[in-house]
Amino acid sequence: MLANIHIARAKLISRIMRVVCVGCAVLIVGTLTLITGYLLAIGIHSLNWSFFVNLPQDNPPGMRNSIEGTIILVALASLVGIPMGMLAGVHLSEYESNSRLASPVRFVADVLAGVPSIVVGILGYELLVVPAGTYSGWAGALALAFIMIPIVARTTEEMLRLVPGSYREASIALGATKARTIVSVVIPSATGSIVTGAMLAVARVAGETAPLLFTAVGSPYVVHNPSKPFPSLTLRIYELSNEPSPEARAQAWSGILVLIALIFVVNLGVRYFTRPRRTHR
Amino acid sequence: MLAGRSLFGGRSFSDVALHSASTACASAILLMLVALVVVLFIAAAPSIKHFGFHFLVTSEWRPNPLPVLKLGANGKPIRDPITRMKVVDHYIPPNFGAVASLYGTALTSALALVLAVPLSLGAALFLVRVAPGWMVAPVSFMVEFLAAIPSIAYGLWGMFVLGPWLGGDARWIHFGFIPFPAGIEGWLSNILRHVWGLRWLAEQNVNGVNVPISTTGRDIFIAGVVLGIMVIPIITAIGRDVLKNVPLAQIEGSIALGATWWQSCIEMVKFSRSALFGAVILGLARAAGETMAVLMVMGNSMTIPTSPFQPGTTMAATLAGEFPEASTNDLYRGALMEVALILLIMSLAFNIVARYLVVGKSSRSAMAH
Repeated sequence: MLANIHIARAKLISRIMRVVCVGCAVLIVGTLTLITGYLLAIGIHSLNWSFFVNLPQDNPPGMRNSIEGTIILVALASLVGIPMGMLAGVHLSEYESNSRLASPVRFVADVLAGVPSIVVGILGYELLVVPAGTYSGWAGALALAFIMIPIVARTTEEMLRLVPGSYREASIALGATKARTIVSVVIPSATGSIVTGAMLAVARVAGETAPLLFTAVGSPYVVHNPSKPFPSLTLRIYELSNEPSPEARAQAWSGILVLIALIFVVNLGVRYFTRPRRTHR
Repeated sequence: MLAGRSLFGGRSFSDVALHSASTACASAILLMLVALVVVLFIAAAPSIKHFGFHFLVTSEWRPNPLPVLKLGANGKPIRDPITRMKVVDHYIPPNFGAVASLYGTALTSALALVLAVPLSLGAALFLVRVAPGWMVAPVSFMVEFLAAIPSIAYGLWGMFVLGPWLGGDARWIHFGFIPFPAGIEGWLSNILRHVWGLRWLAEQNVNGVNVPISTTGRDIFIAGVVLGIMVIPIITAIGRDVLKNVPLAQIEGSIALGATWWQSCIEMVKFSRSALFGAVILGLARAAGETMAVLMVMGNSMTIPTSPFQPGTTMAATLAGEFPEASTNDLYRGALMEVALILLIMSLAFNIVARYLVVGKSSRSAMAH
């Protein structure tokens, strides 16, 4: 009799906890829907053509310079960060056997990926802004590259490891050098996933604010020279959030919407590249 | 070609070039960490020299010298006979201590984990054990997308939506006919004030009288909630991967022994507890290092408030908020750099522990297969 009560209790608890688990998922998905829904609804409100073509001091104000600034900053960061990260990843995956470097590098890359971005911004300030005597787009772009390198290195390594060893052996058996094997066989067979890793890193740094606070600092003008203070979408949004007027706030929401749309597009692109392909064996 | 061979020891030029370039880039990653630690340490040196250990145990954060007035025999300040200005006897030099920032970081991170850990584990269990196949991919995508939203978006949302809803006095808002509670902090502090022993959480001392706190919508509690929402996707995503790797035999075994669904879930969690703990630490590292969202909802006061419903600061928010003012003052900048150094060391420690727990465990279980 007592055992039956225990079993009934355990079953009841089990049922309740199952509902609780469903509830947790619903709550999380609900929160996301609420947040993005709100951002969409409010952001679209003040989103119009002038937002994309006007400057902050124009009437009606826009964010053209900031959008351009973010794109240039991220592009510069990618130019430095993606090749360096990829090469480091190649080293970890392909040259590991004859290198004592691999395991500490892997460890440090993982640890660096978790360093708060504000600390990276401060490093950029100390190393690039103080000696140059001025805030600059270069400092901002390099701070972003600093964040990208470990991410790209680790994803590249993981992806190259998935390439079957027989590919490499076949290539070397045909007389190709190691470099030729890596460049013409190993990397091409993992291109899709490497692009994914790079795009995730791009999406990550496109939304960063803290590393730019003391490096790029922002600018109300159209700037194409990275050795000057440089505008960025995130910096502009932060600036606007401190202004009391409702117009500034509406601008900030629209800026967030554009930023999230950018990141969402990149994420969808990643999904497209990583989608399971039926043609593969 | 022959010349090339003799020069590079039998390897072609491209071989040597790729090898050395990739080795250089891999070493650059090591150099990056070294640069981070060395540069911050050098920049923090003035503060480390000046304050020493006291930096870690004092909370006073005062960038400006404090004037002490010259007092007359009657105990009142002496005034200059000509200018009628109060005469300054001497100045107490500026003082910096990290305790307020450390306290704020600890409290907001703890609040975030209290909120995020149960929810995330529940959602991870849902994804692994409950959700029908067609549902897993979209829910996972949403969770991962939540992780990709930039922190400034969370900051703006916390500042203009969550803060005003959570903060303020207890009240009701109406969606048409449906009443909905608002001023959650007000409700909470109303409850806390009637719980014996927790009264101090909801009261502040004004001129020696304890009065209920009037919440503003920018305080530690709200920062904790925003951080909680931000770390949920991290813990959920890693937790899902960890739970997915629990061997099926473990679950089947417990069910065969008569365990209910929930009891078998507990077995799963127990089996992968160290990796799950690693996931939680990764969430903690994210929460403790988060800058923008906290900066925007925290109220930024360099004090240690008694109640979580009052403004405070965290290490990252201190850095972002005070750095622009500190660039000319060596000691001030050094103090901020020391805060940055503490933040860096702390996040390194968290990440090392988490990496050991998550990676170490999964490689061990992979070996067991």
